[in-house]
Amino acid sequence: DMLFSRLNFVFGPSAVPALGLVDQRAVTRVTSPSGRTAYQVLGSSGKPYTCYSSCHFCTCPAFGFTVLQKSESLLCKHILAVYLSQALGACQELSVSEEQLTSILLAEEEDEG
Amino acid sequence: LRRGGLAERLCRLQNRERSAISFWRHQCISDTIISGKKHKSGVLIVKILEMCEECTIQVAVCQQLEQTPATLSPGDAAVNAGEPILKVLFARETAAHLKSRPQDVILIHPPWQKLLLKNTDVPVIMNTYFSQKVLLSEHSETGEKAYGLTKMPIRKNIISLAQTFRLDDLGDALHQEPSENQVACAPQIPNNCDSKQHPLAPSAVNDSLLEMVESQGAVGWREVQVRVIIQRVYCLPAREGSRSFCSEQEPVSNRGMFCRLCLLVQDAYGMFSEVQLQSPSSADDVEQYCRRWEGRFCCLAGMKILQRTTRGRALGLFSLIDSLWPPVVPVKVPGQSQGSEMMTKELPPPSFCYILAVQSSEIDVEVDEKEQISHLYQPPAVRGLKDILQMDGCNERCSFWARVLYLRLQTKGRVPINQREIWLFVTDTTLQNVVPGMPRVVGVTVAASCVLSTEISEALSVASQRVFFQDALWGNGRIICVERTVLSLQKPLLCSAAGVDLSELTGPVRLDELDSTTQANSICALRGTVVGVNERTAFSWPTCDRCGNGKLELCPQDRELLYCNQCSEAVVSPVLKMQLEVFLSCPSRSQSTVKVKVRHEMSCGVLSIVRLDTSVYEVQSVLGKEVGLLNCYVHSVTSRPNCVGLEEIVLL
Repeated sequence: DMLFSRLNFVFGPSAVPALGLVDQRAVTRVTSPSGRTAYQVLGSSGKPYTCYSSCHFCTCPAFGFTVLQKSESLLCKHILAVYLSQALGACQELSVSEEQLTSILLAEEEDEG
Repeated sequence: LRRGGLAERLCRLQNRERSAISFWRHQCISDTIISGKKHKSGVLIVKILEMCEECTIQVAVCQQLEQTPATLSPGDAAVNAGEPILKVLFARETAAHLKSRPQDVILIHPPWQKLLLKNTDVPVIMNTYFSQKVLLSEHSETGEKAYGLTKMPIRKNIISLAQTFRLDDLGDALHQEPSENQVACAPQIPNNCDSKQHPLAPSAVNDSLLEMVESQGAVGWREVQVRVIIQRVYCLPAREGSRSFCSEQEPVSNRGMFCRLCLLVQDAYGMFSEVQLQSPSSADDVEQYCRRWEGRFCCLAGMKILQRTTRGRALGLFSLIDSLWPPVVPVKVPGQSQGSEMMTKELPPPSFCYILAVQSSEIDVEVDEKEQISHLYQPPAVRGLKDILQMDGCNERCSFWARVLYLRLQTKGRVPINQREIWLFVTDTTLQNVVPGMPRVVGVTVAASCVLSTEISEALSVASQRVFFQDALWGNGRIICVERTVLSLQKPLLCSAAGVDLSELTGPVRLDELDSTTQANSICALRGTVVGVNERTAFSWPTCDRCGNGKLELCPQDRELLYCNQCSEAVVSPVLKMQLEVFLSCPSRSQSTVKVKVRHEMSCGVLSIVRLDTSVYEVQSVLGKEVGLLNCYVHSVTSRPNCVGLEEIVLL
């Protein structure tokens, strides 16, 4: 409970949705033979968002606005779900080919543009 | 939320904490803390040295004190060496409640939590929900009150993207990571956000609709407000089956439709949104709100997103938006500092618009008289009817001031009476001053979707009125009033009328004369000679000479007399009203057969009922008579046979 309390204090509104995602096992770690990894989180709308493993980034619009543009939040619920799933060992694992991982990472970029 | 899952646990914890906090706060209000008192253990006493805000959490660098000092003056800024330094974090809500300043002394009651991080010496204090400020002697209290009135701007620490993105070690213990981020930023990064410029607490009032919508999602946001200007106020009929957040009691406008007050607002970036007020309002209030609210700033809070609509789906809404585009002052561009603003001429008109719903208690319209009308406001551009009829294009919004000459309710079809179209025939000075090729009178259709207030509906049917039509639609040669058109009896307070003559019409109004261009559903004047009478459709009926009642009955006592039950008396000398169709030969439209339904009155003198039948009426006496300028409504115009059907009317 103490941990929960701290989580709640620091992350506020993102905490409950992030835990909800963890409960649903919505976080998948995607790895490729070369060792590259990325995380895919199924958002509440069913849409998958990609979170990078090498840095603090998520493709969801909330991240773009609250974290990057307004600096109002440290992270979005998807990133928090990734960390929590990591800590709890609740990630699903998926191995894909290099090309598939590339397309996952690139596809998000196209959306951005 | 999954049952038994972590999220549910956290939710319950949140609720428990929230009730504990509010309970504690209520208790605290009555307590006053006298300085020097010793508190039970577990209470942390800190003095704030400096403060800043990061990601909505307030970070206060403090000095821990042994006990609340006996005297505390605001000037006492000396930091005692040897007293431990702490970094205390306050959640946004706690910070708003505390309203603390540097040099304030805060008591932090348990349960609070302490976090020791790997890389730094300064411990971090978290979960500081149960904090209160130490109130000093009365003298300071008044000073406190003065402080309370002006909210101090707090410097915002922006974590640079470089730092955010360099976070690469996911193996760290979870709750350390974000704190690490915060602590690492302790050397202050100059912030370039506009929180300093607002006198209000940062991130409380925003000026971008798009940002609020996209970042907060459809659930509705409570604490954040958006400041926009109100371009237009109107009533929309609520359709059945449309999503409605309202209670059952929605007032019914006089036309029997449920309606809702709506605002078309625009933010500082030029983006529009239609805001529907959830609380019921009556169509009669619209005019009042129009005058009070149009052009003013307002703050919206607690909004729900109903819909995101696009140009293709909401033609009516976008025709109104187009009439307000481009903005008259430069608008801000997202992502750029406030210095540079794009030339508004280059901006394309918006292609989407959010429709929001808000409780009317959450709208704060700045109706301060001293507050200037926003420069962004575009009052309706009033034009003369002559200009409007010459406009190109389709689905253009236009505003004008005209006199209503005649009114007609649509009678076709099985439409309930309160949803019928109303046809108005209007004119103004620009049309009455004869211009070749332009009609003198133009027809305006008021669709069922245009909400009229009771006042105007009644006024229109009684007498000729001057009406201001705001944002009517012009297209396909006709002016129609639809949703978002507002009719009112008064000229608007603000309107741009470039060179338009808004003066009263002098002299009698003249209608167009019947000629070869006359079309159905219009009004005209005609003159001609009677060449025939349609005897089959002629009929007459007696009316009471006192009250005009057309439904007279036989007198029960004397079956030879007529009785009026509105006057409750026998009618001794009834007025005979006749309706008949005459065929005229009109020189102005000589090729057509002109059939006019006319009414005629004849006082019968003292007449016995036996004599009342149509054969009394002498057809022959009418033939060859000259009919003077008659005002008529054109029912139909057919080419084969070449016939015009009209009906004599009385102008308002």
